[in-house]
Formats: sequence, C-alpha cells, structure tokens
Amino acid sequence: MKKLFSCLGAVLLSAGLAATASAQFPDRPVKMIVPWAAGGDTDNIFRPLAPLLQKQLGQPVVIANVGGASGTVGAREAKNSAADGYTIYAVHDYIHLVHYAGLTDISYKDFEPICLVSATPSVLTASPKTPWKDWAGFVADAKKRPGEITVGATLGSTSHIFPASVEKAAGIKLKYVSYDGLAPRMNAILGGHIDLTDSNLTQKGKVEAGQLKFLAIASEKRDPDMPNVPTLKELGLNIVYEVVRGLMVPKGTPAAARAKLADACAKATAEAEFADSMKKQGTRVSFLNEKDYAAFLDKIDGENKAIMADLGLMKK
Amino acid sequence: MRLGRDGIAGLIGLAISLLLLPQAFGLPKLPIVPVGPGFYPTIVLVFLGTTSAILLVQDVLAQRRAGPAAAETPPAPPRAYGLVAAAFIVVAGYIALLPLVGFRLATVLFVGAFQYLLEPPKTTQQWILLTAIAIATSVVAYLVFERYLLVLLPRGAWTGW
Amino acid sequence: MLELLGSGVFTILQWKFFLPLFLGTLAGVIGGAVPGVTITMTIIVILPFTYGLEPLAGLAAMTGVYVGGSAGGLITACLLGIPGTPSAIATTFDGFPMARNGEPGRALWLGVWASFFGGLLGGAFLILVTAPLAAIALEFGPWEYFSLFVLAMAMVAGLAEASLVKGLMATAIGLLITVIGTDPIGNALRFNFGSEFLSAGFPFLPVLIGIFAFAQIMADVEKVRDPQQTEGVAAVGQPTLRISHLAIIWEILSRPVLLLWSTIVGIVIGVLPAIGGSAANMMAYDQAKKFSPRPEKFGTGVPEGIIASESSNNANVGGSLVTIMAFGIPGDAVTAVMLGAMTIHGIQSGPLFVSQNAEIAYGIYAAYILAHPLMVLIIGLSTIFILKVTAVRLAVLAPVVLVLCVIGAYALNNTMGSVYVLLLFGVFGYVLVKAGFPLAPLILGLILGDQIELNLIRAIMTDANPWLFLTRPISGGLLLAAALSVVFAIWQHLRHQQRISEADADF
Repeated sequence: MKKLFSCLGAVLLSAGLAATASAQFPDRPVKMIVPWAAGGDTDNIFRPLAPLLQKQLGQPVVIANVGGASGTVGAREAKNSAADGYTIYAVHDYIHLVHYAGLTDISYKDFEPICLVSATPSVLTASPKTPWKDWAGFVADAKKRPGEITVGATLGSTSHIFPASVEKAAGIKLKYVSYDGLAPRMNAILGGHIDLTDSNLTQKGKVEAGQLKFLAIASEKRDPDMPNVPTLKELGLNIVYEVVRGLMVPKGTPAAARAKLADACAKATAEAEFADSMKKQGTRVSFLNEKDYAAFLDKIDGENKAIMADLGLMKK
Repeated sequence: MRLGRDGIAGLIGLAISLLLLPQAFGLPKLPIVPVGPGFYPTIVLVFLGTTSAILLVQDVLAQRRAGPAAAETPPAPPRAYGLVAAAFIVVAGYIALLPLVGFRLATVLFVGAFQYLLEPPKTTQQWILLTAIAIATSVVAYLVFERYLLVLLPRGAWTGW
Repeated sequence: MLELLGSGVFTILQWKFFLPLFLGTLAGVIGGAVPGVTITMTIIVILPFTYGLEPLAGLAAMTGVYVGGSAGGLITACLLGIPGTPSAIATTFDGFPMARNGEPGRALWLGVWASFFGGLLGGAFLILVTAPLAAIALEFGPWEYFSLFVLAMAMVAGLAEASLVKGLMATAIGLLITVIGTDPIGNALRFNFGSEFLSAGFPFLPVLIGIFAFAQIMADVEKVRDPQQTEGVAAVGQPTLRISHLAIIWEILSRPVLLLWSTIVGIVIGVLPAIGGSAANMMAYDQAKKFSPRPEKFGTGVPEGIIASESSNNANVGGSLVTIMAFGIPGDAVTAVMLGAMTIHGIQSGPLFVSQNAEIAYGIYAAYILAHPLMVLIIGLSTIFILKVTAVRLAVLAPVVLVLCVIGAYALNNTMGSVYVLLLFGVFGYVLVKAGFPLAPLILGLILGDQIELNLIRAIMTDANPWLFLTRPISGGLLLAAALSVVFAIWQHLRHQQRISEADADF
C-alpha cells in the first residue's frame, strides 16, 4: 500500500516538475545508447567519454549497449525514447549506410545533433601470408589476378565502403568475404584465410610484431606513431576515409537540455584524459558543435548516398 | 489414420518447412554474394522437412503396428497442467506490466501472485510472509542491480518509477 | 607461463575478484545440490549480476558456478540418492548404497576429493593445451569451422535418448530459429512476416534462458500438488559425516589408473563440443566398471564408482573451458552463457583470446584452480545447511528465479523486446519438452546456427569450389567423423530395439 502511495506521489511530483525540469536538467541518470556490443570499436570510444560527461553533468551517464541487426535496433530504441535529454544516442557513419541500404527507415534526420566526438582513420591491412611488401606490390598483383584477392568486410558497412572506394580509385577488382566485426577479421587475416581488410591503428602492435602489414592509411597526413605507413593521398588516390562518431538526441528534445549536453560534450572532449584514451583507440578527438555537426552530417550523408549507389548496394 | 504425439509434431514441422520454403526462394540477392540469403535457410528447411517427414512416417507405422488398444499409455502421475497455464499467464501479466508500472512495483505484484498461485496462504502469518518475500525480492533486486551494479531496470511509462 | 599463472592467482585473490568467485562457487554448490536446479539454471541466475561487474569478476563467478555445480550434485546424490544435476547421476549408483551401508561421510568425501583431483588434473590440461590448440584453431578456415559444427550436431543428435530423428529435428528447429530475422551476411530480412519485432531476430541468450528456465520451472510446477513430491526423502545418517580425510585421499590416490582414466574421459568429452558433463560421468562409470576386476560389485557401494563419476564430471569442466577459450565455440549451454557474458563485456573469444587477453585468460585459469579448494571448503562447512536449502519451497524459489531471468534478458540490451522473446521461448521450450524433444540438440542448433551459416557462406565467397569441404584434410576428416557418428547412432538404436523409456526432460 505504501508503495502504491509513493508511486502515485512520484507521478504527481514528476508532473509538477516537468515545467521546471529543463532548468534543472539533469536531475537523474542519463542513458547513453550505444547501438553495438560492449567492447566493440564504438563502445571503446564512448565508454571513456561517459565518466567525463558525468563530471560535467553531475549525474551518472550509464551506457546501454543496444546491439543487433547492424545497429538498427539501437537506432530504433533511441528514436522511440522520450525526447527529454535523458537518452543520448552514440552514432557513427552507419546511420547513413543502413538507411540507404534499406535496412531501416530511420535516418539521421530523426535526431538532433549534439556534437561530433572523434574520427578514426581507416588503414588498409594485409595478411602476413600475402607476398606483397607494400602498396605497389599489392596493386601490381591485384591487376594480375583480378577478382582473386579476398577482402574481409562487414558488407554494406564502413569496412566494406572503404576498400570498395580504394578498389574503384585504383582500378582493381577485389573479392569480398563477409566477416562481421574487427575481431573475426583479425582471426581470419592472421590465419591467412583472407588477404586484406580494413582495420585501424589499434592493430599497431601486431604490425610491429610482424603479424600484419599496413599498406596505406586513409588520413590527410601520416600518423606520427606509424610514420612508415603512407597515406592514400601520397599514393595518388584522393581518398580520406575516417569513421566519425558523435552524439545525438531524439528529435524534439528541449533546447535547454540540448545546450547543456552540448556544453558538457565540448568540455569533456577537450580533456587531455580523453585524448589519451582516444590515442589508444587509433583515433583522434574531432569536436564539432551542434551547428557544425549538423552541416557535417548533411555533407557525409550525401557522400555515403553516392558511394552506396556506386556499389549497387542502394535499395531503390 | 491415427496420429500420436510424434506424428503431430512431424506434421507441424513439415507444414512449417513447406510454408517457408517458397519465401526462402523469393529473397533478394546481393550482387557481391554468390549465393543469396535464401541459400542457407533452404538447406535448414529441407533438413527440417526431411526429419519431420521421417518422424511422421515412423509414427504412422508405429500406430498401425500397435493398433488402437496399445494407444492407452501407462497411467502417468497426475500433472497440474491448469496450474502451469495459470503460471504462464501470471508471468505474461508481469512482463506486460513491467514497461507500464516499472520494475519495482511489477515485481512485488508478480512475486506475490506467483506464490499465491502455487501455495495459497491460509493463516495471517503466511500472508505476512508472502508479502514480505514479494517486497524483499523487489527491493533487494532494485538495490543490487540498479544502485550497486548500475544495471538499469525497466521503468514504468505510467508511473515514471 | 608459470609467471602469468602466478600473477593470475594474485589478481584473483584480490577482494573484488575473490568475492565473486567465492559467491559463484557457493551458488554453484547449492544449485548443483538442489535436485531440479541444474548448473545451466544456476549460471542463468548468476548472469545478470555479472553485467555490472568487471569482466574478469563476472567470469570468475561463472567459473565458480561451473566448478561448484559439477561437484555440488554429489551431495544429494550420495546422501539422498537423488542426483542434484545430471552430471552426478552415476554418483548415485554407488554413492547412495555406500551411504545407506552406514558410511555417508566416506561416500560424500570420496566424491568431493575425487572432484577435487579430477578437476585439478582437468585444470592442468586446460592451462597446458589451450594455447597450442588456439594456434591450431587459427589455421581453421571457414571450411574447417563449418565441418566442425556439423560434427558437433551429428554427435549430439546421436546422443539423444528418445530417437535419432527427434534429435535431428530438434537441431533443425534450433537452426531455423537463428534464421529468422536479419541475415548475417547482407542484412536481408528473412521470415519476418512484415513484423518489426521479428526483423531483429531472436537474441540468443533470452531464447536460451527462456527455454531452460521455463521448461524446468514449469515441469516442477506440474508436480507441486503431487503429495509424493512434496514429502521429500529423508537424509541418511547425517551424524557420521566426520571422516579421516587422509584415508579418503589415500583411497583415491592409490587408484591412479582409475583416477587418470576417468579424468581423461571427462576431459575428452568436455573438449568435444556439445556433449557435456551428463555424458561424461556415465561414460567414465561405464569404463571403470568394464576395466574393474570386480564389476559385479558396482552398484553396491564401491569407491571406484564414485571416484570415476566425480573425477570425470569435474575434469569435463576443464575440457569445456579449453573449447571456448581456444576456438570460441561453446560446448554446452553453460559455456554458451559464459561466452555470452564475455561478448557482453566486449571480449571476443577465439583463437586470439589467450594471447590478446592474457590477463583475463590466466585470471580464468586461476579462478578455475582456486575454485576447487573453495568448493571443498564450502562443502565441508555447509553440507548440513545445503541439505536444508534443498527443501526450499518451489513457491518461493520459482518467482525469484523468474525475476532474475527477466532481469537477465532485459539488461542484456536494455529492451523489453528481449523479455518478450524470453516468454515466447519459455512457452515454446515447455511445449517441445512435453512433445518429447530433447533440448540439448535444440540448444546446440541455436548456439551454432549463425556461425554455421557465416562459415558456409564465407567458404563459398572465398572459393566457389564446393569440393573444398571434402578435399581440405581437416575439414574432410571432420565431415567423415560426422557421417560415422550418425551411422553409429543408427546402429546403436537398431541394436537397442526395445524402446528406452523416455526421460521427462533432457537437460
């Protein structure tokens, strides 16, 4: 009985508070939806961010991994959450890709951008069992054996789009094999079951141990930690491919809550501690505020649409 | 023709596989995958269909051999199937209530109701015990999971609690 | 390696890992001892707690459950004549007669110390073999994995007691469940009938929890008003549990061949995917009887029977852990839940696991080893208490377990969707059990479904030549073994024409 009363009380209280909630936002834990499993690349980037956001917001930021169906389950969960600022959605380029692949009707337009957090340059990586020493060797071999060199990729996702853009720009033909996620791709490439894959600088240790070969990095400039790896630009391919990750909230979230979150995000991403943990993820901090992030999203949405159409992966 | 338990199961399995097979053929193919998304489901469905058909045939043969007389199974101990059905309904009710009234309240109601179902309390003391267990389960689970382990539990849309 | 193991032991001895290990072992011993609560069930109940813990703490707790559970079954097997888990069935054959002959303490402690030694020998195997096996696993391409899974399914379906056809059909049902939803290669929607709920597919853990938890609890609910069931069995002579441990240990160690052979049987069955402890103890018991100079005495309370059964079922745990840690393939429902827990924490098991996550891998080894003395200690201190716990009323146990199952499903990805799946498959699993289908092949189909498809399609995408499955030596050998095991199962079923009475449920 007592429980019932206190629960009724809570309803009345929350109704009464609704008007003033925005002023005091946040007054309870904030849930951050990461649409992939814990320990994945995306999770590894947002997990160190959560405590830093928490410090700014003064309330716990709890990560909820809502995985499944190429991240679309999490997207739906985020879209259907109450637009009160207590649910934030951690996102990367996949939101554009799955939309154009026809996997979901949800698009980035169903959300309000908060901030861009990070950018992870893709690195074209080769198996130790391949005969090539460098990029030139690879291209020469690929031209000799069109359609025979195998690439492990999550079909229709960033790990597929990146080698596909390379394939197109270099005028070669590759064969794709479905390997979902970086860990299975690493097993396969170390065993020599695939020749190539998209990875990132987190695999640096294996390259130094001679287990893997980095052929080229898709960033603007060489990475200071791996100065021997050439950029695709140097090699004459105009490709910069970075997986970018940011935070969004469901459409209709009050402006005051958004401002508070955006402010917290700006301060959290500026901390040296965050830069350090990003470095371990082969990633650089790349902050954009609400307005710039919105413009940036419009831009990459167009680019992704073009690539998907190019690859014949677009759902009509 | 009489059908036993296995025969019915075989018939259902066969029906499912025949129903889904045309769907498996109709799935769209991706240009870069040599076999479409229907390839593996087709194998599984054929596997299911074959085993179901064998089970069905085995059962029909067994029934014919045994004749109607042997269909009488040895007396099984009485089983409270009504109680099982009621238990499933109580669980379904709990799951339906979770997103509406939230974990804490729904759990008290559920643990109470389930105990009542299996062993209806007779004395006041038993009622008190039942209520205490129901409330304790809810409170302890909430404190341990949401407060201590930071594992979020369902909140109620009606109560926000 | 010893250095890593040493640091693993020091890590686990820290309070934040040791406490979960202790509580896990305790829960395992109790869950193993309570008839009707299996190790799988115990680990399912423990699962939601591990979500909020550090990965190693959660895994330590689960390792404790596995070790404790494999031993706990012997308490009720020896003292009440009811196996607490299926992996202690063979323990009742000689344990209970021995107890009834006035030596309950000897029966109990023979079992405990046999579990201890068998488990530790299994642990030595685990630590020595996992890394070399992982190196071999790395050479496994999609063809080899596909063939390995086919072999696992063939073996499990063949073990199904009721009928081979039903075992195979249960496997097919398990596979079909994994097909529903988004296809794992190109994300095409399959068999979703336009429903958004079905498009996400059925997440593995809620399905598994639903099938196991409900099939078991509802089977108990059926019998709750049955007077025979509620009376229970009186424990035999608790007062004489005191015993000379040195004498018991000597009784076991003076039979090194028996101990080693039973341990090897347990390990081998553990390594083979999907067979598990319930087969290990029966097989080891059988072997012990065959090689014994006095087979006619088996079943009257001879120590050999207890030693064979208990050393094999704990060694089996070590073997199962090898398979998940080297191949990333769960051998049974218990290790499937462990693997699920690892995935939730973002740890990918597989050939690279030991080298990339050495700290966690050696932590698991250390937890495994430390769980054994803990198990002995717990049983030693609390046998009487545990016997009391076995009498807890279902009316209290069932709803609490179900609440934990609901939390386990919900917190998995924070959606009610998983909870609906839990209920759906709870009903489905119960109906299947009532229709006489074995659950083990069904679960295996569920565990392996996605992986079979992925590896099949990967093989085709890498090289379209279908003969590679047969011409690649490892793959061909595995497929041959699969074919042989089906032929063997058919032959055995024909030989035992007289129908074996169908078990109530096969866990």
